[in-house]
Amino acid sequence: MKRDWEAMPHDLIRIEGLRKSFGDRSVLNIESFGISTGKCYALTGDNGAGKSTLMRVLAGLEPATVKKFSFDGAELEFAQYPIWLRRRIMYIHQHPYLFDSTVAKNIAYGLKQSGVARSEQKRLVNEAIEWAGMAHLADARAQKLSGGEKQKIALVRAMVLKPKLFLMDEPLANLDTQARQQTIALIERLCSTEHTVLIACHDGEISKLPGVIRLNLVDGEVKFPETSLRTA
Amino acid sequence: MDLIEPSSQALQLLFTGDPDLWRIIFLSFWISFVALVLAAPFAIAFGFILATKKFRGRRALVIFSQAMMSFPTVVIGLILYVLLSRHGPLGYFGLLFTPTAMVIGQSIICFPVLVAYTLSAVQGADPRAWETAIALGASPFSASIRTLLEVRFAVMAGIFTGFGRVISEVGCSLMVGGNVQGMTRNIPTAIALQTSMGAFAQGIALGLVLVTLALVVNFSLAILQGKGGLREA
Repeated sequence: MKRDWEAMPHDLIRIEGLRKSFGDRSVLNIESFGISTGKCYALTGDNGAGKSTLMRVLAGLEPATVKKFSFDGAELEFAQYPIWLRRRIMYIHQHPYLFDSTVAKNIAYGLKQSGVARSEQKRLVNEAIEWAGMAHLADARAQKLSGGEKQKIALVRAMVLKPKLFLMDEPLANLDTQARQQTIALIERLCSTEHTVLIACHDGEISKLPGVIRLNLVDGEVKFPETSLRTA
Repeated sequence: MDLIEPSSQALQLLFTGDPDLWRIIFLSFWISFVALVLAAPFAIAFGFILATKKFRGRRALVIFSQAMMSFPTVVIGLILYVLLSRHGPLGYFGLLFTPTAMVIGQSIICFPVLVAYTLSAVQGADPRAWETAIALGASPFSASIRTLLEVRFAVMAGIFTGFGRVISEVGCSLMVGGNVQGMTRNIPTAIALQTSMGAFAQGIALGLVLVTLALVVNFSLAILQGKGGLREA
């Protein structure tokens, strides 16, 4: 199985010897793990399996011991996790936090941090918000939106930065049926346009989407089920 | 004592633009404003660090900052007086009985108020705010500014409270300012002096300004807090 995993095309991320513990409790113990460019992955596992921890480690929000780490072919010191890497790996929280300002300003925040010119920010924000079909909410107060709307805006806010990798932590958690369907449709669009996406999820709704490769996190190790190998 | 006569004289002084009276009012505002502007960036940054960083002695600093909020202003004035007096360690600068000395004193007085309000505000902030900013590529400094913006209503409450404390304090201003006419005489020290001299009209006029100011500050605070409370609705 490990041989098949390594035989995947160009790795966007490759990690070797990833260890993460909380006190005496070991949560992640991964020998080797990679994500291929342009693929969509669904990371499944039981509650407390460490899905969110792995996502947060990959996003550089949680410290961990890593022997080797490479991104887009370049070997990096994981402990240093530079700002430019954060701008290429976008993490979307399970319950996304939207800043206390308008939807448009929320989407523009990352662009502003990257030093994008104001006129370009405006153009990109308009483009992204229309892509998500939420142009009517551009001037709405972000914190007054529903859970589903917040999830979509968080995805748009990450998308506008054109990252190389999207990390989505339980994007369907606590959403009603309609919001779930809308979020799934957005994820489907994202996956069909050759973005690299890793989605931590519980249910089969995402892992059953066409082209999505299923990964399983068991006992702190990422497993690659046989069914996914066939579909990948 | 008849209050009607001095009160009507006080209003007359205020509305006829008595230069001595308005100089005192302007000086009070200016000194308190400068003290607040000088103290705020350091106090807010210090409050933010206390709320977000773990380090040895943090707890002691939190307790000390909170205790300083109720520290008598006259004692702060006394300590500053010793430091700034001609034979004191800072006497060389010749700052005693100058507006600068009053600004230093008032900065010290409002500092712990701003620290305590910022500390409480940031501790109550959603931790996802900082994390989201970082995840969107912000530097730690930019993410900290974003977090402060998220709790701006509570931080502004601290600024208003700090201003209210320094504009009305008399002990420190009297000690290090010396109540010099036209130079260091502010509203509270002038009220104390005029009243002791029996010049009730000017004392009442200045008192009216101070009371109006206190009301404006409190109403502004109430409006801000009301707005802040509504933002999650």
